[in-house]
Amino acid sequence: MRRGLGLVIAIALAAVHLPAGARPAAAADSLNLFGWSEYIPQVVIDEFTEESGIEVNYEMYASNEEMLAKLFSGATKYDLIQPSEYVVEALVKEGKLEKLDKAKLPNMKNIAPDYFGLPHDPQLDYSVPYMSGTVGVVINTAKITDPVTGYADVFQEKYKGRIVVLDDALEIVTWALHVLGLPPNDVNKESLEKVKPILQKWLPLVKVYDSDSPKTALLNGDVDLGVVWSGEAALLYNEDKKFKYVLPKEGAHRFIDNLSIPKGAPNSDAALKFIDYILKPEVSVKISAEFPYTNPNAAARKLLTPAERDNPASYPPGNPKLDTFRDIGANAVLVDKLITDLKAQSGT
Amino acid sequence: MRQESTSFATAAPSHQRAPGGIGWLLLAPLLVWVIAFVIAPAGIMLVYSFLKRGTLGGVVWEFTLENYTGVADPTYLTIVIRSMVFAAITTVLCLAAGYPVAYMIGRASEERRNLLLMLVMVPFWTSFLIRTYAWVTILKNQGLLNSMLLGAGLIGEPLELLYTRGAVIVGLVYTFLPFMILPIYSSVEKLDGALIEAALDLGAGPLRAFSRVIIPLTSPGIAAGVLLVFVPALGIYAVNDILGGGRVDMIGNIIENQFKGNARNWPFGAALGTAMLIAFGFSYWLVNRRQKMIEGTR
Repeated sequence: MRRGLGLVIAIALAAVHLPAGARPAAAADSLNLFGWSEYIPQVVIDEFTEESGIEVNYEMYASNEEMLAKLFSGATKYDLIQPSEYVVEALVKEGKLEKLDKAKLPNMKNIAPDYFGLPHDPQLDYSVPYMSGTVGVVINTAKITDPVTGYADVFQEKYKGRIVVLDDALEIVTWALHVLGLPPNDVNKESLEKVKPILQKWLPLVKVYDSDSPKTALLNGDVDLGVVWSGEAALLYNEDKKFKYVLPKEGAHRFIDNLSIPKGAPNSDAALKFIDYILKPEVSVKISAEFPYTNPNAAARKLLTPAERDNPASYPPGNPKLDTFRDIGANAVLVDKLITDLKAQSGT
Repeated sequence: MRQESTSFATAAPSHQRAPGGIGWLLLAPLLVWVIAFVIAPAGIMLVYSFLKRGTLGGVVWEFTLENYTGVADPTYLTIVIRSMVFAAITTVLCLAAGYPVAYMIGRASEERRNLLLMLVMVPFWTSFLIRTYAWVTILKNQGLLNSMLLGAGLIGEPLELLYTRGAVIVGLVYTFLPFMILPIYSSVEKLDGALIEAALDLGAGPLRAFSRVIIPLTSPGIAAGVLLVFVPALGIYAVNDILGGGRVDMIGNIIENQFKGNARNWPFGAALGTAMLIAFGFSYWLVNRRQKMIEGTR
């Protein structure tokens, strides 16, 4: 009797661990979409399926590296991916992206002109900007009354234990490079030696490292200021106007997430249809409504509500100093090691 | 007197034969599973650890030893040692908290026992990640614990509990406690009450009976519990990432960074993983040897 029960339990445990859902097959009218988690609203996908009749298999990832790992494992043949600008550069260098058939993308005319001529894809031959944003300083003005204009103002002794930053080694290193007045994309052994003493002073002041949801710590009141994604800051601003967003005067990262078609994608036509659909202004505003980043679609910007357009985190006023990231190749290993080392040294 | 033992370490008594034809057939599924999901991945990891890093992640098929020289770097050794310290503290706390519970359950009546066991298992019905986030809700500045203490007037300012090493230990002990309770319970359940009575009759006080009779008899359960807590605790990365605010990096986080972070250095992650595997093998061997010693002296 006891043995029979054991057998049943063993089978039940095995069944629970069977893969839930088979691999999506590349059928004639289906699209394998591989995007960031929480970046493409379900309503946009559903309406695309309604309009075009193409079934969308939406899989998600949480980092560019995760996307690369799964893409090259070949388990699923993805038709669309959402790489950041420096990953686009690396993929183009390695010849891993399909050249876009611009004839099938009439809505590309809606893209704002300042998204052309950028180093990672000057003519937008391999990528179409999906959403853009910046990495800047967010301040809880109810708790912080002194002016904060840049990274140096954030990392002061008086704010020890009240700071949240992104858990991104490359981002952190570029902030220190900005403070030194060095170009943020000039990452190598020498420049990392220069930023080391600055980061040794900064990192012990940090309370939380969080790339997934840095707004949580700010909303909970566990921290009072931080260096976070502009989308998070925009959501905080919508929640409570006391959260101010400031682009650091020393310089900031302007990131662009793009839609690209990997080489050998089985449904590149469906992929192009999806890209063109996203470029429609009335669809693009739906994305902005849910994820208040900077919309690269000039036609869509005209359709935004005044509240959305006035959100200083989504559309920073003035002419701030912004740079996109370049692919730094093997120097990424040095960056990771430096931050690992400094995090361990800074103690808890 | 034939001693029933839950020990995985006893040598086969001479009257047992090696499995015959039918035996191997029945063992085949398990062997296939072990080869496909344990031996093959470990083999791949070992091979990868000697290769070079690919630009977009992945590996380049060129032999190198630079990954292992990287592992020996003081930066990473500090983190390995810290992970071992955390895992050891967690194990000790789980043992201290879990042994009395397991003993109580094991000596309880039949119906009570099943209910208590179910209560120990109930947390597993919820996702592990959600339970870890629940601790964020409890420990944060505006969380349950601080609100209670503030409301009762016991403190004037909220305590900074979250995003500290203490919070990580709390989370780890909470996660691994059932893995200590269940194996020890299994040993306690098999305790022959007559042995304890005999010890007391022969003049041993309750403390001596506990340390000289009960502990050695339940040592297989303790050994299993220690391994079931120490080994996974070494590799944990989610609990300390969430409860430590990303500041308490353990070896699991470092390995994760090589695959999902900027580094894109799979061979290095593989080398770290292989080093950990060897460390696990060593700790298993140590525990095994101690078990054999304990059983040898009986």
